[in-house]
Order: sequence, then C-alpha cells, then structure tokens
Amino acid sequence: MMDLMSQNTKGQSPAMTSPAPMRDTKEPAKMMIEVQNLTKQYSDFRALDHVSLSVRKGEFVTLLGPSGSGKSTLLNLISGMTAPTSGTITIDGTDATNMPTNKRGLGMVFQNYALMPHMTVFQNIAFPLQVRKISKEEIRRRVMDVLKLVQLEHVADRRPRALSGGQQQRISLARCIVYNPSIILMDEPLGALDKKLREDMQLEIKRLHAELGVTMLYVTHDQDEALTMSDRIVLMRNGRIEQQGSPAALYFEPETVFSADFIGSSNLFSGKLKTVDGSKALQIDGAALSVPQAQSASFADGSDAVLLVRPENVRVGGQGAASAEHNSIVATVKDTLVLGGVVRHFLTLKGGVEVIAQDLNQPGMALPSRGSEVQITWRNEDARLLPADPSFSKKQV
Amino acid sequence: MSGDAPYLTSRAGILLLAPLVILLLLFFVYPLLFTLWNSVYEGGLTVRAYEELFTSTLFYKVLRTTFVISFTATAVSLLLGYPVALHISRQPPGRRVIYLTLVMLPFWTSILVKSFALTVLLGYSGIINQMLGSISGGQLNIPMVFNRFGAIIGMINYLLPFMILSILGSLLAQDPNLARAAEVMGAGRFRIFRKVTLPLSMPGVMAGVIINFTLSIGMYITPALLGGRQDMMIANLIDFYTRQTLDWPVASAIAVVLLAISGILVAILGKVRGSQGTMGAAA
Repeated sequence: MMDLMSQNTKGQSPAMTSPAPMRDTKEPAKMMIEVQNLTKQYSDFRALDHVSLSVRKGEFVTLLGPSGSGKSTLLNLISGMTAPTSGTITIDGTDATNMPTNKRGLGMVFQNYALMPHMTVFQNIAFPLQVRKISKEEIRRRVMDVLKLVQLEHVADRRPRALSGGQQQRISLARCIVYNPSIILMDEPLGALDKKLREDMQLEIKRLHAELGVTMLYVTHDQDEALTMSDRIVLMRNGRIEQQGSPAALYFEPETVFSADFIGSSNLFSGKLKTVDGSKALQIDGAALSVPQAQSASFADGSDAVLLVRPENVRVGGQGAASAEHNSIVATVKDTLVLGGVVRHFLTLKGGVEVIAQDLNQPGMALPSRGSEVQITWRNEDARLLPADPSFSKKQV
Repeated sequence: MSGDAPYLTSRAGILLLAPLVILLLLFFVYPLLFTLWNSVYEGGLTVRAYEELFTSTLFYKVLRTTFVISFTATAVSLLLGYPVALHISRQPPGRRVIYLTLVMLPFWTSILVKSFALTVLLGYSGIINQMLGSISGGQLNIPMVFNRFGAIIGMINYLLPFMILSILGSLLAQDPNLARAAEVMGAGRFRIFRKVTLPLSMPGVMAGVIINFTLSIGMYITPALLGGRQDMMIANLIDFYTRQTLDWPVASAIAVVLLAISGILVAILGKVRGSQGTMGAAA
C-alpha cells in the first residue's frame, strides 16, 4: 500500500493507484474537486498564489501547513465563502467558481463545531434535511440513523451546549453526513479537542470516511494528524503548494528543506558540496559528511545543500569507519531523554553542529553519560540531499 | 481561580461599593420611598389618592393613550431599527464605526434641542411642508406636529439608538460560522435569517423592546412639545397634578402606579427574554 501510494507522486495515472474504496468502478478516477490557477489577493497580501489541485472521488486529502500558508483560504474558496481573485473551481464536473455556497452541495465541519445553540441536537441534524424539503418521517429516520452511527442516540433532545467538545464535534459530523454530501470539507475539526480525544476522533473520521466512501478535504496544521489520516497530503507554504504526495512520500522523500523540517523531526546539515576523491561530500562546520552519491549528481560542485537525516536513522555507539555507504562521526552527548517507548539523544559534533538521535527503548539499555564522546553513524541511503533554501531558517530544537 | 480565592476581602469589597450604595440610597431609594410615602400619607395613612385615581376617567384615558403611543413607538422603532442593526452588523469594522457614530449622533443631542429641531422640520411651515407646498402649488400641507404623529416621531427619534444598539449587540455576538454552516448545508439567505440569525438575536430584540417601552411610558418632554392636547401621557399627568392642582398625593400615586406597571412589564418580558437568553446569549 505504501509503495503504491508513494508512486502516486511520481506522475503515474492516479486511476491505477487510487487507494480509496470505489462504489462506481466504471469511473474510478472521477475528479470531485478541480482547482486551477486559483489566486486570492487581499489588498496587501496574496493569500493564495496560482494553486492547482485535483481531488479524486473518495480520496482523503489533507491541506497541511503553518498558519498563513493559505490552506484555510483554499478551503474557503472551495466552499464559496470567499471569492477568488482569479482561477477556476470545478466541483463534481461543474464549474463552481462563481456558484453560491448553498448551491455547491458540500458538507463542512468547523473547528468550533458551528452547531446552532438555539436548536436541540435533533433539530440541528434535521436542519439540512428540512432545507431539502424531506418528509418528517424520513427526517426522523435519517437523523436517528446518523445519531446511531456516531453513537450519540441518547442526546437527541439536548442542546449542543450541554455536550462535551468531543460529543459536539461528533454531532457536527453527523449533521454533515446526514444529507450525504459527496464532498466534506473539514477546517481543523479537532483543533479544539485535547490530545486523547483528538486521537479517538481521528479514528472515527477515518472510519466514517471508509464506510461512506465520501471525498474529504481536511485542513490541519498538525502534521501527525495529516500523516495518520490522509491518502494524500498537500503541504502548503506562503500561499503555494510546497509538495504533495502520500504521507510516506512526504516523510521519506521530502523535496525541500521546508517539507523535511515541517514533517517529522529532522537533522538538517547545511553546507557546501565539494568533490573529494571523485565523490561528493558535504562540508559542514568542522566535518565533512558523505552524501548519497546518486542524489548528489544533480548538484553542482561547490553548491549549497542541506543533508536530511531523520533522528531514528542515527545510531549511537555504532562501530565502523566512514565509507561511501556510511557516515561515522564522533559526537559529544549533551543530554539523553527517555520518552517512554523511545530514547532521544541530543548530541553535538566537533564544529558545534547539533544532532538528534532516536532509539527504541529497551529494558536494560545502557545510556551514554552526559558529556561522553560517542560514535554516531547513519547509512547514506537513509539520508536525503536537498537544495539549500535561503528563505528558510530551521527552527531551534 | 477567582472562584476559590477571591482577590478582594469582603471588607474591601464593601468599602469599594460604599460610594455607589450611598449615592443610590440618597438619590434613588430615598426619593422613591418618599414618593410612596407621599401617596399614602396626608396627615394620617389614607388611600384617598388611589381612590381618586382609580375613579378618574382622565387617568384611564391618559393611561390608555400612554400605552397606545408607547406600543406604537416601540413597534415602529423595532421595525426601523432591526434592519439598520442587521446592516451595521454586516459591515467591516471600519465602516461599522462610522455608521455607529451616525446612530449615536441623535443620542448625544439634548432631547429638548431635538424636539425643537423636529418642529422646524415637520411644522406647518417646516421644511417638509414647504417642499410639499411648492410641489403641489400650496395645496398640500400635512400636519405632522402637535398631534400624535409628532409625538411618536419625536419619541422614535429618541428611542431608535437604544433599539439599534441592543439588537446590534446580539447580532455581533453571533458566531459568523453558524450562518456559514447553514449556507454550506444549502440554506438560502431568507431561511438563514429566519432560522438562525433572527432567533439568536431575540435576547437583543427583547432587551431593546423593554428599554424602549419603559422609556416610552415615562416620556415627558417629547409628547409635551410635539404632541397635541389629546396626547397627554402619564408623566404629563403627574406634572399636571404637581404644578396645576398641587395635589401631590395623587401625583405620587400616579408615579407609584407607573413604577408598578414598568416593573411588571420588565418582569414579563424578562421571562420571555430569559427563555431566549439561555439559547443564544453567549453564542
């Protein structure tokens, strides 16, 4: 599955790799949302800059990015609450660029639930059905069905404010799926919930997505949420799409320093590429690191580059000399934290460059003492060479 | 935090409240009790004033007039004020400030000045009638002051800011995502207004109605200046007993009845407001 999904990003036909369950096998690659060259310009700020994006039927796509990256703007443009400056939006094959919101046939879940405080839970869920002029008996049946689906039948007559945050968000989910919209937009729906509840709700949303086969466009700034839930992640930065692909692709094959830093934790070594003895090496403060040679081919000699090594790929206390396949380097242990299932080492190289290494925790594991010198190693195949990004400064760990 | 560890000791609290309490006791509670006392004491305890009041046709007539005028003024002010409040609530903050200033302008003007200004505007040879006259060649002249119409116009002019502000408050308190959610679910503008915006603004509407009505039934200068002979309201009647017939006990009794009526009205409307308030006040 992972392989299949990561191939997606390499330009294969989406029809061949479509990961979502399809009801209609005749049109497996039907596009539910197509956005082309969409731009939103505010007087002094370009919130969205020529973004193009397609979402397949049944796909779970997450718009991920820091605040101000344009992800919510894109969602608001698709929902019709904001009008684009230029570009087109197609929903389910129909040009929706200038279509009023209430004609777009979408479902939407808001961060603050947006339940009507003056209506009971039942009335809230019945609302979209009343709009659709459905008979009273049918409404009652469908509302109770969907309440059963989110396991909250017993709160039908309560007001939303009498419910917990998690319950309210399940009601707002129920209100959304009760009228079977083919597309559901979610704007940080779990942002107001605490961690445990958030994880439960992630599973619940995943379950509903799988059961209903609905197309989901999900906005979050939480990379864990994006990695857990999505078929495809669209990483946004400054109003543009930085990179898109499966969670695995974004994690293992980031294409930019921004992607590498935003998703997962990372060691990013900045330096200049120099050719030594016929192979390229990255010159950083006080050390030369060998780099994946295949990747380095596209970099000119002397160019600025960044080497990404995930902490879990750095071994502490390993043996062996540096080679074309391995980096092996001496580091000083600054601190070691035991975080339940994992152990995290904070280290410094000779030139002052900081490195994080992560191990699985095991009983009886010998931890290096603070200030001691250890050998750290990683395989070059686990590292990734990225072009330097002058506009990016790594956040302090 | 403030619940289990109050920042102020009760003694400090009493000290801070004292100036206000003294002020209220001196200038509100004492005159009130004095009025009440006045209405039942004429050398000895008596209900003479009330008897006279409840057997007086003038009192009932004035009471009816007061209610009709107050009700009309409140209703018109609600009908005029709601759309204005709705419009202002949908403006960007910068423009909202400008519009609010325009609403508040008459609020900051003396009621006396406003009443005279209205006679200039609406009078027999006022601007409007002059215009009507020049259009119709002297045929048309609508009497708009010194009658009930004038009294009500003057009152609405005074009441509108109270209505608009209290409705605007509950409109602005609404989570804008509620209307958006309704729109995404397919609801049209009219349905959103009827099912979401309006019911959630009811606390503001009720507050505006209570303020308008209680202000109306106690109104004095405006009906005196802009109304006709037939438009005597309760406050004017009190004035009549105080200054013309010098029957202070009856004047006090009217004041007490007026206060009781206001109190009952506020209590009744507050009940309605209370049931609505739990639904949307904090939305």
